[in-house]
Amino acid sequence: MRLNSIQQQQRQNFKGNPVNWIANTVAKHPMIPIGLAGSSVVAQKIVMSGSEAVVGPVMDVGIGEVITKVTKEEDGRTRDSSKVQAIRTFSQSVGGTIVGVIIRMICIGAATALCMKAGQKVGGAFADIIQKNTNNASLENKYLYKKDMETWGKNIGGAVATLVMLGTNFIIDAPFINWINKKATDIVDNKILKNKKDDVETKEKEVK
Amino acid sequence: MAFNPPKFVQSLLESCSPNPAKAGKTLLVINALGMVFAALSNTYAAAVDKNTSAKDKKFLVPAGFVTGAANIGLYYAMTTKIIDALQGKTTVKDGKEMVKVGLADKVLEYMGKNYDKDGKTLLQAAQEKFVDKEILKAGKVSEELKQDAKILLKKDNVITDEAKELFKKSFKSGFGVAGAFIGAVVGCAILTPIIRDVSAYFVQKRLEKNNPEMKDKPYKPYFEPTRIESVRYNRRPLTLKGYMAFTNKGNMKV
Repeated sequence: MRLNSIQQQQRQNFKGNPVNWIANTVAKHPMIPIGLAGSSVVAQKIVMSGSEAVVGPVMDVGIGEVITKVTKEEDGRTRDSSKVQAIRTFSQSVGGTIVGVIIRMICIGAATALCMKAGQKVGGAFADIIQKNTNNASLENKYLYKKDMETWGKNIGGAVATLVMLGTNFIIDAPFINWINKKATDIVDNKILKNKKDDVETKEKEVK
Repeated sequence: MAFNPPKFVQSLLESCSPNPAKAGKTLLVINALGMVFAALSNTYAAAVDKNTSAKDKKFLVPAGFVTGAANIGLYYAMTTKIIDALQGKTTVKDGKEMVKVGLADKVLEYMGKNYDKDGKTLLQAAQEKFVDKEILKAGKVSEELKQDAKILLKKDNVITDEAKELFKKSFKSGFGVAGAFIGAVVGCAILTPIIRDVSAYFVQKRLEKNNPEMKDKPYKPYFEPTRIESVRYNRRPLTLKGYMAFTNKGNMKV
C-alpha cells in the first residue's frame, strides 16, 4: 500500500515537472538532438528567417498599434507606417532567405571541398593541426577525418558566406527584395482597394 | 612539406574547429557577425543617403549605431544564456573546474536510469541507434569509410567507449544548436522588431521636431484608396521618410 502511494507520488511528480517531461520526450526520440548537431548556418537561416516572415509582420503591426495607443496619436502616422514596415519585413525575410541560403550553400560546399583537397595534399601536417584542436582525427582514420572536415567546411564556409553577403547584398538582394516588396504591396493595395470600393458601393446603395 | 599557417589563420581555424561543445556557440558567433555587418552597412547607407540633410545625419548615424548595438548585444547575451542552460558549461577559474549542469546532462542521466520494453536502458538503445545510423551514413559515401566506421564504433558487435563518447558529444552539441536556434528565432522575430519599431518612432519624432515642415505637409494615409493612384510615383509614406534610410535603403539581411 505504502509502496503504491510512493509510486503514485512519483508519477505525479513526474507529470508536474517540465524538465522530466522534456527528458522523457527527448529520450524517446534521441535522434532529434543528434540530427540537430550536424546542422549548419543554412538551417539556422531557414529557421530564423522563416519564423521572422511569419511573426515579424504581426509584431510590426502590433507595435505600431501599441505606440499609437500609448502616445494617443491622432493622425495615426505610426499605425500606417507600421503597416508599410510589416510588408517590408516580410519581403526582406523572404528575399533574404532565398539569396542567403543559396550563397551559404555554395560557400559551404566550396569550403568543404577545399578542406578535403588541402588535407589530401598536405597530408599529415594538416591532420596534425586538426588533431591539436579537436578529436583524434587523422588521415589514417578516414571516418573521423571526413566527419571533422565536414564540420570545418560548414563553419568556415558559413563565416566566409557572411563576408560574401556584404557584396551580394547590394548587387542581388536589394533589387530582389524591392521587387518582392512591390509585388506584396500591390497585392495588399488591391485587396484594400477592392474592400473599400465595395464598402463605398454598398453605402451608396443604402443611401439611395 | 612544412605547413605553418600564420597566427591569424590559426586562431580563425580554432574558432571554426569541429568541437562539439562549441557547435551552438559557433552558429551564434557567425550569426552575430552577420548582424554586425548588416547594422554597419545600414548605417553606411544612411550616411551616404542624398535625401537627408547633414544635420539629420548627425543624429541618424549614431542612432543607427546604438540601435544595432542594442539589438546585437541583447541577442548575443540572451542566446549565450539559453545555450548554457541547455548544454551545460564547464569553466576553469583559478585552476578549479566549475561545472554547470544543463538540460542535456539531465536528459542523459534520465536515459541512464530508465528502461525500455526490451530491458535495455534508454541510453543503450539510443547509442545503438546512433552507431547504426553513423555506419549507414558512412556506407553511403564509400565502402572504405563504412569499414572504418565499423572498426571505430563497434568491436565484436559491442559498442566501443569511443562511440559512447561520440554519442554523448553529439547529443550535447545538438542541445547547443537547439539553443542557438531558439535564440535566433526569439531575437529575430520578437526582439528585433520591438527595438527597430520603437527606435523608428523616436527617430521620426526627433526629425519632425527639428524639421517642422515635415509635419506641416498635407498627409494622406498610405492605404487610403484615393491616394493609391497618386502614390505610385512615390511609394514611401511621409512618416517613414527619415527612418527609411535605415530600414529600406540598405536592405541588409546578411
